[in-house]
Amino acid sequence: MHTKTAAAFILLVCLPGISQAALNVFTCEPEWAALVKELGDDEINIYSATTSTQDPHHIQARPSLIAKARRADLLICTGAELEAGWLPLLLRKAGNAAIQPGQPGFFMTADYVDMLEVPTTLDRSLGDIHASGNPHIHLDPNNIIRVANALTQRLIELNESGSKRYQKNQEQFIKRWQQAMAGWSERAASLRGQDIVMHHNTWPYLSHWLGMNAVATLEPIPGVPPASSHLARLEKRLNHDDVAMIIHADYVNERSAQWLSSKTGIPIVSLPASVNFQQGETLMQFYETIIDALMASGE
Amino acid sequence: MDDFNISILGPAFVAGLVVLSTHIPLGREVIRRGIIFIDLTIAQIAGLGVIIAYSFGWDEHGLEAQMFAIISALTGALILSLLEKKAGKHQEALIGIGFILAATAGILMLANNPHAGEHLRELLVGQILWVEWHQLFYAALISSLVLFVWNVFRQSIGSTGFYMLFACAITVTVQLVGVYLVFASLIIPALATADIKEKHVMLVAGVIGVTGYGLGLLISALLDLPSGAVIVWCIAMMALIIKLIASQMITLE
Repeated sequence: MHTKTAAAFILLVCLPGISQAALNVFTCEPEWAALVKELGDDEINIYSATTSTQDPHHIQARPSLIAKARRADLLICTGAELEAGWLPLLLRKAGNAAIQPGQPGFFMTADYVDMLEVPTTLDRSLGDIHASGNPHIHLDPNNIIRVANALTQRLIELNESGSKRYQKNQEQFIKRWQQAMAGWSERAASLRGQDIVMHHNTWPYLSHWLGMNAVATLEPIPGVPPASSHLARLEKRLNHDDVAMIIHADYVNERSAQWLSSKTGIPIVSLPASVNFQQGETLMQFYETIIDALMASGE
Repeated sequence: MDDFNISILGPAFVAGLVVLSTHIPLGREVIRRGIIFIDLTIAQIAGLGVIIAYSFGWDEHGLEAQMFAIISALTGALILSLLEKKAGKHQEALIGIGFILAATAGILMLANNPHAGEHLRELLVGQILWVEWHQLFYAALISSLVLFVWNVFRQSIGSTGFYMLFACAITVTVQLVGVYLVFASLIIPALATADIKEKHVMLVAGVIGVTGYGLGLLISALLDLPSGAVIVWCIAMMALIIKLIASQMITLE
């Protein structure tokens, strides 16, 4: 009797252990948290270092950040020097061998897509920070597929026992994603060929996908407030152009966008720059929001 | 529970002790002279030095950049100390002007290279949680040199000597813990103890600083908040509490 109870007890204790989270995943940006959730579902623990309203260039160091990185089996970041200001420091502080560069636990999504705006000459005066190209790759849904495929392989490599589940999730996700993409493209067909102005150079992948022409950037050099001569020139030029909208990320200050809008009458469209993962938003819902906002401005 | 890991909070706490060791005595002098924003100006000038080194094509992580930072900070300190002799009563205003000139010179120099600017800013303004033991070693070394000179040669180095010493201390600590914590460590304990009997000052200021850093780190781990900002608030709260206790004790006497 006693042995039976003991056995039952051991089973009870161990069963949840077996089905317990197999992988701890640390993501630098919420879009990758949302993606790995699609592939790994509830059986992985996900922690995102930033939220959709934070600029991933900068981060305030919190103790949990280091603690989570220390425990992570897999680190998913954009790479392309987007996190150059803090990721090397975090990796050094975390001292976790599994997620150091070159290890299977180190996954940079920018390695798996074709980068836009890669400088042809590597001149130091042009800024060597984004030498790998524009890092905001998650704004083209084709890139999501490419990253999803590579990421599934990586999850399997790290946790063989989950391979069936990851593959099934991948197939289902890609299928749903491609259907949704067709829908978005159809809805946004009228945007093709339209001219837009970007506030900050966050959106080239989006405009590339939807076939919009980015005719100007308000901040010609990201991070530096536009020079008055640049704004004045822009205003003069745009008055004669047929520009549909000024796009800007909803978390940045929109003053220069408002200035241009008030001078030219071009409407401003505020878009979320990433998935609100912490509030349970999915990648699918994020893209819906973007398409909705873009279409609403055209009406 | 991992958040309370000593290897995460330990180096940060020791960094706090290193910063306090020089900033409490120097802070008292800064308050006495009425030049409380000098730390921000010196830090900004040191930063400008690194930007200059970078635009000359030198490695911003290297020894050259550190040399440039310290030389710029010393030059800035020298100019400020000369200005103090010339126009003493306007010193605070001149320090403020020095701050904005150094800050905007940096913007102009990096106008064509903003991402590098972001990068350099992170290099120059440290965050206390990123501190590593080997950095602490150098910081402790320089801090003890500064303390030694200050304690032994205070009378003979004069005003210029103070400015130079201060520049050395600040250039090191800002890279370690950032400007907010440097300002808080310099000004708050010194101000809170300004009216206390001379023989108790170091002890009381030390208690404020050390409990401020310790509590701040614990609370930031507990509530998962940015550590630097929480510590600043804890130092201020501790100063207030201890100030109140001290005034109670005086009225009881």
